[in-house]
Amino acid sequence: MLRSLSLGFLRLLAIMVLAGLLGATLMRIAPGFGSDEQQLNSSLSSQSIQAIRQARLADSDIPRYYGHYFASLIRGDLGISQSLNQPVRDLLRDRLPVTLRSIGIALSLAWFLGLALAMAGQLLNSTAFTFLSEGLSGTFISTPAAVLALLFVLLRLPPELAAALLVFPKIYRYCHNLLQQSYGLPHVLTARAKGAGRWRILTWHVAPTALPQLLALVGVSISIVIGVLLPIEVICDVPGIGQLAWQAAESRDLPLLVNLTLVVAFITVCATMLSDAARRRFVRSAA
Amino acid sequence: MKALRIAAAALLIIAAIGAIGAKYFAPSGYAHQFRETPDASPSGQHPLGTDELGRDRFARLLYGMRVSLLLAPLAAAVATALAAFLGGIAGYFGGWIERCLMVVVDLFLCIPWLFLLITVRAVLPLNISPEASVVVTFTLLGLLGWAASARVICAGTRDMMKSEFVWLARASGFSGLKLLRLHLLPNLKPTLLAQFWISIPVFIIAEANLGVLGLGVSEPLPSLGSLLRELQQMVTLRPEPWQFVPLLVLILVVSSFQTLLNKHEVRV
Repeated sequence: MLRSLSLGFLRLLAIMVLAGLLGATLMRIAPGFGSDEQQLNSSLSSQSIQAIRQARLADSDIPRYYGHYFASLIRGDLGISQSLNQPVRDLLRDRLPVTLRSIGIALSLAWFLGLALAMAGQLLNSTAFTFLSEGLSGTFISTPAAVLALLFVLLRLPPELAAALLVFPKIYRYCHNLLQQSYGLPHVLTARAKGAGRWRILTWHVAPTALPQLLALVGVSISIVIGVLLPIEVICDVPGIGQLAWQAAESRDLPLLVNLTLVVAFITVCATMLSDAARRRFVRSAA
Repeated sequence: MKALRIAAAALLIIAAIGAIGAKYFAPSGYAHQFRETPDASPSGQHPLGTDELGRDRFARLLYGMRVSLLLAPLAAAVATALAAFLGGIAGYFGGWIERCLMVVVDLFLCIPWLFLLITVRAVLPLNISPEASVVVTFTLLGLLGWAASARVICAGTRDMMKSEFVWLARASGFSGLKLLRLHLLPNLKPTLLAQFWISIPVFIIAEANLGVLGLGVSEPLPSLGSLLRELQQMVTLRPEPWQFVPLLVLILVVSSFQTLLNKHEVRV
């Protein structure tokens, strides 16, 4: 138990360090790095311009930047956003709850819709219903998130619903395939042959087999919904971390982008680890 | 369902013929401007009307399909080759090499793909030629979209390394490249092909997302994604039905790929 926990923590740490390093490297090689619009401000004195230039140059040395960054991180200081001129911690405090709320709503809706359609498809066993469900999921899986966001702005619908509609096809298809496989297992066929009802087969025989894999999908679906929320937040003007990441990428705001990359990596890795742990616990308790 | 698959395959063939033969089917070049008729409604001369710069929408759609339908498979090939290389190494050697490579895979998987793509695309120069923007966009898709496939290939290689025929081959003195060429690669071919086909619709959608956000293929070169940028006007102006045709084509093309892939999934 302790060994798996420490291994998980090491994996999380390695991914976080790599994610941050990747973000910093990307910004370092970006054109325009090290220059600041403030340097063109004629009302600033030469000393101020020199100070701005020095501050930018200090960020260009990646190992030095990282050493400084981790030292500040331990003190709880995430740096100052260069484009918004605000502490990154304050920006994250304001924006993260908005995105977390969107993730919660979108995931709940997507899981409800995906699971309900997949289960209904198995219970009804109707070709027409499966055809309609496949058509619906196929349409949304083929629609770019940015276009659906535009349509939602036009129709004045909640952006969380757009995110849910984009994520549900992946959940539906996975659940549909999983349930189909589970219904073909020998013990389920035996139960059916003995005359067990549809609900009983689903709750007693199919669900316990499918649940561990569904738990693993929960973690993955969080990563999917974060990816989908980025263009939605940009186009629907939702003040979340997706919109903030977009602004940071556009204005080459290194401290903000590195912190956002770390936050997103932290959320998704933790979600995956938790869902994996839940799956393992369920499998152990079932055994 | 079989009829649906036949319809999907037929649609993809029609789209491919239209894209490849754009020069013959399109009423004009993709950048040709009919300056006397900007924002024109559909007519015999312009089946889908013209855009605000007077360019024929139908011609741009055909050329846009050419860019997306030809380059998405190339990007998928790059991603699959990278996944095969890294996933294959991880599965072949196992141990700490596999663990280190899987941390890199986890990194790419844990950062949402679109987030990474937009970040990387945003840090590259925007004032590049349209042709260079096509290369940059699809190369990025290929270079960033390998992680999920690498995990599958790693698992496949690892299982194969434990199989009896590989043990027998190793006992007979096969190792390294010979083992890879004669035993591993032929058996991994179905997995590699499945990953290649799965990546194509994903890359078409990713390019469309980048295109709508203005980070995809540069003007005047069209792609399915850059054609969708016109839809941004619908937030302020009343949209015309024919402006949705590129979206409809995109949905039909990607759905056709998904329909054909579903069959493959059942087989796998």
